[in-house]
Amino acid sequence: MNRRLTQHLNVLDYALSSLWRRRAKNLSVLVVFSWVIFLVASFQLVTQALTETAASVLRSTPEITVQKMSAGRQVEIPLDVSTRLAGIYGIQEIVPRVWGYYFDEVSGANYTVMGIAPGRMPLLDRLQLTLEEGGVYDQESHGKAVIGRSIRRTLEEKGSTLLSLFRPDLSQASFEVTGVFKPEVDILTNDLVVMNIEDARDLFAIPPAMATDLCVYVANPAEVPTIAKKIAEALPGTRVLTRSQINRTYQVVFGWRSGFASVCLLTALTAFVILAWDKASGLSPEEKREISILKILGWETADVLAVRFWEGILVSGIAFVLGCTLAYAHVVFFNASLFKPVLIGWSVIYPEFRLVPSFRLAQFLLVFSLSVLPYLAATVIPAWRSASVPADSALSGM
Amino acid sequence: MLLNSWSIALLLCGLIVLFLMGLAARSAIRVLLFWNPESDSNRQIRLENEIWLTSTLVEYALGIQIISLIVFVLAADFYSQSIAGAMCATGSLLANSFGVPALLVKIGGVFFYGFWIVLHHLDIHSEKYPLVRVKYIYLLFLIPLLVLDLALEILFITGLKPDIITSCCAVVFGDATGGGSNLLGGFTHGLSMGLFYGTAGALILLGVVLLERWQRWLGVLFSSGWLWFFLLALTVVTTEFSSYIYAMPFHKCPFCILQPEYHYIGFVIYFALFLGAFFGMSGAVVEPLRFVEGLEEGVTGYQRSAVKLSLLFLVFFVLVSSYHYWRYILIGGEG
Amino acid sequence: MLIELKNVTKIYNQGQINEVTALKGIDLTIDDSSMTCLRGASGSGKSTLLAIIGCVFQPTTGRVSIAGKQLSRLPDRFLTLHRRQYIGFIFQTFNLLPALTVQDNITLPLVPLGIAPVEMRRRAAVLMDRFAIAHRRNFPASQISGGELQRVAIARALINNPPLILADEPTAHLDSRLSEEFMHFMKDLKTAGKTIIITSHDPLVTEHADVDRIVDIKDGRIDAA
Repeated sequence: MNRRLTQHLNVLDYALSSLWRRRAKNLSVLVVFSWVIFLVASFQLVTQALTETAASVLRSTPEITVQKMSAGRQVEIPLDVSTRLAGIYGIQEIVPRVWGYYFDEVSGANYTVMGIAPGRMPLLDRLQLTLEEGGVYDQESHGKAVIGRSIRRTLEEKGSTLLSLFRPDLSQASFEVTGVFKPEVDILTNDLVVMNIEDARDLFAIPPAMATDLCVYVANPAEVPTIAKKIAEALPGTRVLTRSQINRTYQVVFGWRSGFASVCLLTALTAFVILAWDKASGLSPEEKREISILKILGWETADVLAVRFWEGILVSGIAFVLGCTLAYAHVVFFNASLFKPVLIGWSVIYPEFRLVPSFRLAQFLLVFSLSVLPYLAATVIPAWRSASVPADSALSGM
Repeated sequence: MLLNSWSIALLLCGLIVLFLMGLAARSAIRVLLFWNPESDSNRQIRLENEIWLTSTLVEYALGIQIISLIVFVLAADFYSQSIAGAMCATGSLLANSFGVPALLVKIGGVFFYGFWIVLHHLDIHSEKYPLVRVKYIYLLFLIPLLVLDLALEILFITGLKPDIITSCCAVVFGDATGGGSNLLGGFTHGLSMGLFYGTAGALILLGVVLLERWQRWLGVLFSSGWLWFFLLALTVVTTEFSSYIYAMPFHKCPFCILQPEYHYIGFVIYFALFLGAFFGMSGAVVEPLRFVEGLEEGVTGYQRSAVKLSLLFLVFFVLVSSYHYWRYILIGGEG
Repeated sequence: MLIELKNVTKIYNQGQINEVTALKGIDLTIDDSSMTCLRGASGSGKSTLLAIIGCVFQPTTGRVSIAGKQLSRLPDRFLTLHRRQYIGFIFQTFNLLPALTVQDNITLPLVPLGIAPVEMRRRAAVLMDRFAIAHRRNFPASQISGGELQRVAIARALINNPPLILADEPTAHLDSRLSEEFMHFMKDLKTAGKTIIITSHDPLVTEHADVDRIVDIKDGRIDAA
């Protein structure tokens, strides 16, 4: 075998035994370090999961949404405005949408009710793909709905197969459930009821020929900004939202939140780095003696530095694996319960959904550079100080 | 966009490197002022110890710089999500005029720190430490580069605004016929492929000759050949090979191959290329040191292993980077 | 002639208020396969002289060469490289690492040389057999007797097969029986061709029959008397 490789393996072996001999001291560093990495990694995984979910949500939204504004509030938009948009070149389809919130007094839950004409959506097949079971109701039929999983659970508890809702005049409207959404899209669909647009108007008592907003589908994404501008000019008094605008707002908010939290976590990291520095530089008489013995026996300064380097790599490697594993478990199995207070904004919007973080090398590299690198940098000087203990202190008369 | 995890990680890396190199520079100044190999005074003993400190510091700084280079590219990819028109790192790097310079300075930094470490290892091979002054003056010259690196990085990050509209890889690296400005136009497919494989072949040939017997002018030719090949390879990977990796004829981008969708193949490609180029070029860089007393043996030894390593990485790089291309040519698109 | 010192002086903390001149113009040559004793009171400079011969540090002025290699004016790193090739040390307090096993203590000098663990253990086994400590192989150094400690220390000094053995007050903490035993081992080593230098003022050492030469050190000079 290569001599230098063997040399490094020997030194690594020595570093391992040296860590083990000082296990009490190293364990405390390891525990605190794992905890810091756990915090950083948990937070990174949560924000990543939320960002990705938001992005997937946005992928299914239309390129442009048109809402009518009155006194700064959103009001219903008459369907005939769409005729005024017909002349704009590049619009593929304009789909009216009726949606709103429904408070179910029996279960005490808020449902999101959305009425669309599925046949007019260019992405109907995608909607079908998000269903766990059943299918989308066909366009003509009334009294049918596709629901989210939490609503189905409520129905199952009641032992009912029909979804019964009440109109504002308290008359009952019943819907046959034709399909249920998949758990992967829970963040969006957990409390969602999708039905025929006319049924939705009927349920909310919205006059015919009105909709909550208009979804404008555009064939060429490059034309979206131009078309949005033209729509805004053609329809004064409306708010025109493009998907990328919404996306960017999300990004900035998510990014800001995670950044803010990173700053808080950096404080924890700083505290840890100070601890690491302190632990590494407190050279006990035994350690000093050990190094002077090693050096007089022919160990170079570089060899002792290599021992210290491997010790640092081992400690931070173990802490990194430990911290990241715990963070993953924390986010996936415990729903990031430690961060609930910070994430309160999201948890109110999307009650009870499962976070599914994706494993990306980039995430771990990020956590690595936020935790392991500062640790290694903090231990260079103490490592060198210990490695430069002179050999002659091992002699008696020196 | 200073307040997100990626920016913070980048700045943290930058500050750590600056901190480490600052300490190294402090030692460097002390060594330059007080180094006296004739003395056995406490100060000289301390300075001899500080040589180990500085080399360790620079080695750590190099390691962190490499990681920060990767983080920088991945961060640019992350920023692209919130910049209009950007779909990958290319878009965000072009979103303001500091992105590309920051990347180039970072890459340069990796090479320059690497050369310092080569210098250091040659130096400590000789009992007289003949390069002590040279290497510490060199180290002091690295500091401005480092400050420039950090400054460009900060300017780049703070200059990123979500409302800036930028062009992305499809436009920048796409065919000239596709409209928009083409950054790397001018080479036809046949010419660039011919140059790529021709240069690689010539380098291998030269390297084998050099391993047989080192000749100065051949060594210099080998190293300049590597510099040329390094730039050529970056271009060819971007404009030719990348679209075969993406399996999309109009997707040409040097950064997307780093993504997990393509099994991180970009990391393998760039690591091989950078290491090969580093060893290939450093062979001639150390040539003048052959005349320094006590270094001849070390220089010869280093040049031999550098040529060997550069050839190894060259072959590996050519195989990995053109794998998708040849598979497409030989087997066809799907499968 | 293995060792040659010419006009060697050593001044600690030169130019400072606590400046101490430990050696003043030492000329000394030591032959191959000989046993030399450096004798002197504590503070006489004999340990400093041993450290200079042992490549632990440089002299302030003068020339030192060991086995034909010029050693003065060498950076610390090259002194170390030379030390681990040519010199085995035995210390007054043995300087074993108490938490490591006997075997690990013995192989300690080989760790940075890039010698494979199998080879390290093989070499250690030979020496442990020779010094009758093989049964203690996996005991921590803190749990073995004084006589065994001494033999472990000798085994460690021999593991890299150095031509030169330096012993720094080796018998100061030993009873007379163990001191006798120590000198017996040294005699064997000398017969095997090693050069041995011992600092001591213990009569058991200085008056031992196998000591070829006694060098008296007084106030940093070789006392010719």
